[in-house]
Amino acid sequence: MAKSEDLAQIIKGCKRGEAECFSRLVDMYSGRCYGYFFRLTGNSEVSDDLLSELFVKLVEKIGSFRGGSFEGWLFKIAANIFHDYLRDKQRQRKLVDGRKEQLELKLTGKDAKRADNEGLEKLQVQLDRLDAETRELIMLRFYSQASFKEMAAMRSEPIGTTLSKLHRGLKRLRELMEG
Amino acid sequence: MKSQNEENLKELFEGFLDSKEAEQAVEDIREGERILREHPVPEPDKKLIASIKSEIVEAVLRKKTNVFRRIVFKSAVVAAAVVILAAISIGLFEKGGSDSERVAAVSRIPAAIWESERLADDDADLASLTAEIEQIESDLLALQLGENGDNGSGAAAELEMELIEINNDFWKG
Repeated sequence: MAKSEDLAQIIKGCKRGEAECFSRLVDMYSGRCYGYFFRLTGNSEVSDDLLSELFVKLVEKIGSFRGGSFEGWLFKIAANIFHDYLRDKQRQRKLVDGRKEQLELKLTGKDAKRADNEGLEKLQVQLDRLDAETRELIMLRFYSQASFKEMAAMRSEPIGTTLSKLHRGLKRLRELMEG
Repeated sequence: MKSQNEENLKELFEGFLDSKEAEQAVEDIREGERILREHPVPEPDKKLIASIKSEIVEAVLRKKTNVFRRIVFKSAVVAAAVVILAAISIGLFEKGGSDSERVAAVSRIPAAIWESERLADDDADLASLTAEIEQIESDLLALQLGENGDNGSGAAAELEMELIEINNDFWKG
């Protein structure tokens, strides 16, 4: 409870235009938002850019936050930023090329760093085998820590649809990882 | 709204599946999320975080400047509107009932002159017409006062002819 009161105070500070309060939000959420972008793009440089964009957008949009789940609101902005990123055809091509390159590197075993983190890479590779919508849904659930009700509201779909899609997605991921 | 930690997944699934299937679905979700937890992504670089924070400071300053500019602009617009309204109001009070006079003055100007673009020529025409009208008015006044010495019937007829002629010339332009 104290945490949510702190968050409310921080958000009030942000609305007053206090840069220090925004910095605290960066400390609180940068890890989760970075993870969300990283898992969806599989590229650290792109994730860096998207994370910067997210927090600058947060400064612009904080006035429109009208209460409710801050995480849900923040990750909705993050999802929009990711969609904008995907719409950019050049960047999309770069993403595909980057992924191809990553897979090639992994297959030839030339990347020592990746070899050290084989588990991490395996998950990224298996995530890429899921369809884009399911991957995004899984990441949204995992990094935003939103409830199914919140997620269904964010995605403007019935809760049963969200439950079903996420269940199938996570089950498939588990099969891929264990197979 | 319940947070992720507080929600009862089994209860949610039981709304769509039977108890056994719901239990299995919850188990699948827990296992999937366990795999994700076991494979954490690297933390964002500290330099990146520092750069984001400095970008935020710039964005906050930019936003404040924009807000200030917007306030100044709005105030200037409001002030200009007030000045214009005041000027119009003062003008209306000062001129009062003079509108009908202006309309009458305008109506006396012939259409040909009003629509003409030869300003110098039109001004000369107007001056000569005005002079002729004034001359006729003074003659008429002299007749009415009997200053000519005779009964004035011949002069009146002559004046009337002149007036008709001037009137025709005047409206031809």
